[in-house]
Amino acid sequence: MADRPAARYEIQIKGELDERWTTWFDGLDVTVAGDGTTVISGSVADQAALHGLLQKARDLGLPLISVRRIELRGDDITSNQPPSARGDTQ
Amino acid sequence: MADSLLETKLFVPKARRGLMRRPRLVEALQRGVEGRLTLVSASAGSGKTTLLADWIAFSQEHPPVWLALDSNDNQSGTFWSYVIAALQTLIPGLAETARARLAGSQSQTEQNLTELLNELSALPQEVVLILEDYHMIDSPQIHSEVSFFVEHLPENVHLVIATRADPALSLARLRARGDLVEIRASDLSFNRDETNTYLNGVMGLTLTDEQVGVLEERTEGWIAALQLAALSMQGRDDVAGFIGNFAGSDRYIVDYLVEEVLGLQQPDMRDVLLQTSILERLTGPLCEEVTGQEDGTATLEMLERANLFTVPLDDHRQWYRYHHLFADVLRARLLYEQPDHVMELHRRASNWLELNGYRAEAVQHALAGEEFERAADLVEMTLPQLRQNRQEATMRLWLDAIPDDLYENRPVLAIGYVASRLVNGESQNVETRLQQAERWLDGGPSQSRKGFVVRDETAFRQLPGAIAVYRTAMARARGDIEETIAQAHRALEVAGEDDHLERGGAAGFLALAHWSQGELEEAYRWWTEATESLERAGHTSDVLGTRIALADLLIEQGRLDDAMTTYQRGLDLVAAQGGGIRGAADMYVGLAAGYLKQDDIASAREHLKLAESLGEQAGLPQNAHRARVVKAHLLESEGDDQAAIAALDQAENLYVSDYFPDVRPISALRARAWIRQGHARRALDWARDRGLSAQDETTYLREFEHITLAMALLATGDDGARAEALQLLERLRLAAEAGGRAENLREILTLLDVADGGAREQQAPPIEQALPDPLTEREFEVLRLLNTDLAGPEIARSLYVSLNTLRTHTKSIYMKLGVNNRRAAITRAAEMGLITNRR
Repeated sequence: MADRPAARYEIQIKGELDERWTTWFDGLDVTVAGDGTTVISGSVADQAALHGLLQKARDLGLPLISVRRIELRGDDITSNQPPSARGDTQ
Repeated sequence: MADSLLETKLFVPKARRGLMRRPRLVEALQRGVEGRLTLVSASAGSGKTTLLADWIAFSQEHPPVWLALDSNDNQSGTFWSYVIAALQTLIPGLAETARARLAGSQSQTEQNLTELLNELSALPQEVVLILEDYHMIDSPQIHSEVSFFVEHLPENVHLVIATRADPALSLARLRARGDLVEIRASDLSFNRDETNTYLNGVMGLTLTDEQVGVLEERTEGWIAALQLAALSMQGRDDVAGFIGNFAGSDRYIVDYLVEEVLGLQQPDMRDVLLQTSILERLTGPLCEEVTGQEDGTATLEMLERANLFTVPLDDHRQWYRYHHLFADVLRARLLYEQPDHVMELHRRASNWLELNGYRAEAVQHALAGEEFERAADLVEMTLPQLRQNRQEATMRLWLDAIPDDLYENRPVLAIGYVASRLVNGESQNVETRLQQAERWLDGGPSQSRKGFVVRDETAFRQLPGAIAVYRTAMARARGDIEETIAQAHRALEVAGEDDHLERGGAAGFLALAHWSQGELEEAYRWWTEATESLERAGHTSDVLGTRIALADLLIEQGRLDDAMTTYQRGLDLVAAQGGGIRGAADMYVGLAAGYLKQDDIASAREHLKLAESLGEQAGLPQNAHRARVVKAHLLESEGDDQAAIAALDQAENLYVSDYFPDVRPISALRARAWIRQGHARRALDWARDRGLSAQDETTYLREFEHITLAMALLATGDDGARAEALQLLERLRLAAEAGGRAENLREILTLLDVADGGAREQQAPPIEQALPDPLTEREFEVLRLLNTDLAGPEIARSLYVSLNTLRTHTKSIYMKLGVNNRRAAITRAAEMGLITNRR
């Protein structure tokens, strides 16, 4: 019910997790990065949810490499917001 | 259930057979417990608990005290009462009073902690307290209290904290002072030698040095991983192949290894492991229910023997849990492999748990299994238990997890929701839920229960009262006095004869509402009722609290003797209960304040000392500031002005309203002290800061402050200021007279005397006195005081005359007015426009 859209985060951890771990990480995308790390990415509701995810990684003993917040651009085709919300004029 | 929960949390883990000895680390622990704090901080599966268990079993001289923390312990009172309960396993009865207070109401933690620390320091033995899973604590308040605790630990007490994340305590400072010993991941992880000893020695493998090296590198010495790897290798022939594949894979280690280990199991066992991973705690029959397989107990024992990450939770091998890391990975697999089955598993678990009396855990699984109606039923029935155990976090979680629409026809649950929110002063959704509960009331007492669901009959009967009390509290929080009064009356109407606590609470709200409007008589009446109800409810501390309110009112009405009696009665009550009641100190402080008013400095000092001797914990929340106000007056009487001001400053910092209207603000008391010390200007600055001016409308709540302003104006000696003060005082006089506020009135009259000085002789009582023999100025003063509730002796005291002198005056007054009693005198004088009849 937030007024502002959720932010998109990418959490990089060391070790390869396959996509079977998606459910464990609240339905976010789990993608192997090819360099022995995995990126867990997607829309995160708020800071509390972000810390919850980080804790899940912590509790599995997954070393954290980085946490990045991705700004959504209007023409970002990977955005998971509907066109109207992105301000497209089509 | 409550007891077994406690048992589990305090259970000291046993050392396991076939363990690696780690002398280097044990030495570090030994060093650590010579100091204040030992921190064991590393991720899950690093071997923290194993190390501690080993150390306890084989090396530790002093039997330690263990407390396993969980997410429910994030409330300060709960946390510390568990800490004390843990310490009590070593020293029965230690700090029991403090523990009871902490487990009960919102008492001041610091005082209780100080008490605990004092008792600990008086012990002959060394005490080692181990807090496991400290990362579950995220309350900044608790962190600050733990810091305080560590800072003040006596020499014989040592704290060990095991955690997955560095706690938010002042670690840097402790490190700098050498007061901290740390054991971190790099310490816990196996080095090459240890890896070798573990794999080849303990686990009985026959690996080459190179193979050991590869494994050590791949796992980085992480014990949980090595354990899983060892289990994977024990069951297979092609160890070399395994190592090769393992080393070559970048996959998340635990996932990889758990898959390997599962692959080695029989299909049935594999299922057991996966399916029981949803359980927080496992026991034979429960496992059977969930998995549908037999011999649950035997299976668990086998798992333990096979080192498959099961941890016993008691001495009888009845209950186990999985190592968290292992369980998490299993659960993730289960979610992926058997998603549809998972709900069913939760439901089976929930059923068994409910049938066997483990209601709280039954709720968790009902919610996970999305059996919301059943969960709602269970939650309703579990709420009293949760409240009693102060498991507020759990309560919130569950109540939030129940879908909104289920609250529509579950009034008791809806009120439970309201209670859980209001306890924290939150209001989100509260109105909705109250209305949902009230829907039940609309139909009247005789309506059938059709369509409504009630599981807790007792709570249901108290529903109307509960709703009224909550509405009262909310109205009060909004400052809506009218609504507060209306709802409080309603609460009294519907509360049962024996619901003393509810009646006391409602009466208290009424008293406060009337008091804030200056309706002192009404306030007094309701405080008296509240006192009676609370006495019947046996809530002595609350009774003492109401006595403070009563005494305040009596003093405002000029009835000092009655106020002293009220405090004395409070002390009698304390004595009857054998002492040790919170609020006893307040009674002494109240008496001290009373003695001050009577100018009996010696008795005041004596009673203040008595209060202090009882200690901070004997005081209710307001005592801290009230005692210091009394102290300030004593210091002033001894001539130590600076110290007096300092005491008032302290008092101001410690001020808590405890719902009382702030009718005598400490800042005003300080302003008066300044005036007495000759700093009228400073007092005027104060008045300006407070937004007070001589032209203000007078209100009850600011009366004392306005009087103070008048004092300041008069003290300047400035004619213009004096004129302002006079006008203000006249208006204040009328208000105080009308409101029966004799104490303030006395001050006002005295000031008016002072202000007029000589001028009074000319101005005097109303010029036109239609009396053949007009009243003198003094008689007029007496007449005004007769127009209050003050008794004769009090009037005499106010005027600093003897009772006899007063009688002479009153006789003269009656004669001049042509009456022969007080009431008639007032009536007559009012008719003649000499005074305003306030009756």
